Amino acid sequence: MEPEQYFYLGLVLVLSGAVLSLIPFRKVRPYLYILPALGSLSLAFAGLNVLSGHVLLISSIQVSSFFDFSFRGDPLSGFFMVVISALAFAVSVYSIGYSGEMKNQGFMGFLFNVFLLSMYAVVLADNIFTFLVSWETMSVVSYFLVTFDRNEKSARAGLTYAVMTHIGTAFIIALFLVLYKQTGIMDFQGMRTAAAQIPDILRHVVFIFSVIGFGVKAGIIPMHTWLPKAHPAAPSNISALMSGVMIKTGIYGFLRISMDIMGSGPAWWGIIIIIIGAVSSILGVLYALMEQDLKRLLAYCSVENIGVIFLGIGASMMFKSHGLDALSSIALAAALYHTLNHAVFKGLLFMGAGSVMHAAHTKNMEEMGGLLKLMPYTGLFFLIGSVSICALPPFNGFVSEWLTYQALLLGFQSPSVIAKIISPLGGAALALTGALAAACFVKAFGISFLGMPRSNRAEQAKEVSFSMISGMAVLSLLCLAFGILPGIVTAHISPAVHALTGAPGVLSKNGVLFVMETVTTLSPGLLLALMLIMFGATVLFIYIAGGRRKTMYGPSWDCGMPALTSRMQYSAAAFTKPLKIIFKRIYLPRRELKISYIVKPLFVKSIRYSGVITPFFEKYFYTTAGNVLYRIAGRVKLLQSGSLHLYLAYILITLIVLLIFGT
Amino acid sequence: MKDWIDAFYVIDFLSVGILLTALAMNGLNRLESCVKAYTTNSWLLSLLIVSVAFMIGERHLYLAGIISLATKGVIIPLFLRKIVRQIKVTHEVEPYISNALSLTISGILVAVVYASLKEGIFVTGFSRNVLQISIAVILIGLFIMITRRKAITQVIGLLFMENGLFLAGFSLTLGMPTIIELGVLFDMLMGVIILGIFAVQIRRTFASADLDRMTTLKG
Repeated sequence: MEPEQYFYLGLVLVLSGAVLSLIPFRKVRPYLYILPALGSLSLAFAGLNVLSGHVLLISSIQVSSFFDFSFRGDPLSGFFMVVISALAFAVSVYSIGYSGEMKNQGFMGFLFNVFLLSMYAVVLADNIFTFLVSWETMSVVSYFLVTFDRNEKSARAGLTYAVMTHIGTAFIIALFLVLYKQTGIMDFQGMRTAAAQIPDILRHVVFIFSVIGFGVKAGIIPMHTWLPKAHPAAPSNISALMSGVMIKTGIYGFLRISMDIMGSGPAWWGIIIIIIGAVSSILGVLYALMEQDLKRLLAYCSVENIGVIFLGIGASMMFKSHGLDALSSIALAAALYHTLNHAVFKGLLFMGAGSVMHAAHTKNMEEMGGLLKLMPYTGLFFLIGSVSICALPPFNGFVSEWLTYQALLLGFQSPSVIAKIISPLGGAALALTGALAAACFVKAFGISFLGMPRSNRAEQAKEVSFSMISGMAVLSLLCLAFGILPGIVTAHISPAVHALTGAPGVLSKNGVLFVMETVTTLSPGLLLALMLIMFGATVLFIYIAGGRRKTMYGPSWDCGMPALTSRMQYSAAAFTKPLKIIFKRIYLPRRELKISYIVKPLFVKSIRYSGVITPFFEKYFYTTAGNVLYRIAGRVKLLQSGSLHLYLAYILITLIVLLIFGT
Repeated sequence: MKDWIDAFYVIDFLSVGILLTALAMNGLNRLESCVKAYTTNSWLLSLLIVSVAFMIGERHLYLAGIISLATKGVIIPLFLRKIVRQIKVTHEVEPYISNALSLTISGILVAVVYASLKEGIFVTGFSRNVLQISIAVILIGLFIMITRRKAITQVIGLLFMENGLFLAGFSLTLGMPTIIELGVLFDMLMGVIILGIFAVQIRRTFASADLDRMTTLKG
């Protein structure tokens, strides 16, 4: 079959999924998610074909003489199509089971499918008009998905999301207006050749607008505030999609505008992006560490991973400006690889969190615990996701973060001194991020799945349904596959990398990755084999050295206290307390201790501890901006007196002024 | 008879009459007399259209004149009278400013129009004053809407504006196609009916037809 046919087949399947969801058949409704699952498989084939060099030509739809919907698939869109499809397939399968108990299933199914379609449309759009329409469709549909559970909390989250995303869109529209004004061309193909003649100052403007506009969607700090609100509010299958792929459309848009159409700029563009990436990754993971809400934790963690991706992109832009195409391509390959990886493992983790919520009916980690015994499969897959996101071999996160390190550390080859300083600093930021992320997921997994149940609800958790497990299993397998067979991934990424940087990126041969042929190599397959051998050897050693042992079961060592209870366990807040103390300049924590006594000061009746950290950007940046806005609005409101006569007087005055000065 | 119309400046007299009835609105304190002023205004307007039609011999202008007489001169005034009785505020127009001041401002408005349109962008031939007068009537209608409190005077102000607009269009183009004029008249009729119903409703809701009370609707 031709790639176009795969594309149209996928389109029809997803569309029919959207339409059929609206038909009221209670019983079959969850199974309708098979349609988007098949559709995304088909679209994945189309995307893979596009990646291998086939240009996807989709006949455009004329709206008026000026506007038309035109779509075109080049390697970069092909790559993002594959990323979207991979996650969409798994989430669709997961949704069969997950949506079973939902209210308003039909509406959910409809929105789900339209959301998928709009994301495909964004990455395939080939002119300004199409891009903006798809982009806004995506934003609006995701707003409805965020506010899907009709309650006050999700309404507030939705409002924050809507405001932030529209600020972003305003910047995107502005940058497109600048581009259109300067080139006079609507479609991206023509704009690419015409963009070279744009004066420098306007190129900088376009770049800055694209950082802000797409940065809001991607969730870089300080535009990240909507992520930790919107992602937990949405149903979990949707948060998996939003966090896994929707924020990646921000990355796509940024790459499309700043690297593809504008063709990279001066070195300081790259340096800015590296700094943004470093700040986002460190602060993202620091805030993630302090969260007790599993989904908020994951949302902050998305901020961190977007930071890692931006580190790669920034390095790529910086090397490109220095003429180091090969290095630039490696950095971009690392960024794209991490984009794919983050989609896979963040989707997996959100689905895992969704399963936990489904079973234990709580998002608060302090109420979980001991879930591994009750939900072994969910626990296993969540563990795989956690290990991947911590960048440990043999899973996928390791490969992409390793590549990002390599790219940043190779900055020594750059001729400029600033680059020599900035890129290792980026590497150092990444190292800190990696360590903190590991701590974060030890907490996330350890507190939720290990130990004893901390609440009644956690005790009564049951393993989730087969389809939910299989959705997670698919992504777990992908985590493993992308981790031990990176050659396949880099081979598929390289056309996209080549299109943007002029060099093929990371090479691989026989399962071994080469960074610049000579500098360094990585063979994840061998690494896995080595790990297995080491593990086997250790087990063997213990077996031989320790001799035969019989396992004995007895009561836990309880320090003289009879009967351990779950309240004696490490709590999530306690686990990260040391880090809270170390980073207190960033967290600005406030704590409150309430002690009530029976007889002061010896007999304590109860102690209540509550600690909050100051959300720095919300408090000092957004609140101030909001207040200024309110004050200006208050001034303007004087015009708006509500008196009909005054409004009419405005008209009369305008008319007379026009009559006198208009002629 | 054509010479007769020319010689006695019939068209100028009629248009000045239109302006005077509009200006008279500033001095009237009873709602019923306002309605009467509007009726006179409409009759003069229709007469003007008919006499122009007679002068240039356009047949469709007769139709326009007769229909506008029927709607503006008969149906709308009757309807307005009915509403005025219904909402039981027979007198007290309650302007914000005194009658003398309002008359002065209206005079200034007329002067401004004459001053700014002196050079003339138009002149279809039958009079040099019609366009200025029509614009002045529009502005006076708007001014009446601004300075009067009652919802029903707003409607009358709007109707004066519409008469002014009709005249302006007529003086520039010698009458638009019949179908458009019919459409405009029908819109007008519907508008008046709806506004009348609103006026009654406003009175019922706020226990007053005073538009000042509506500021409380602001968010």
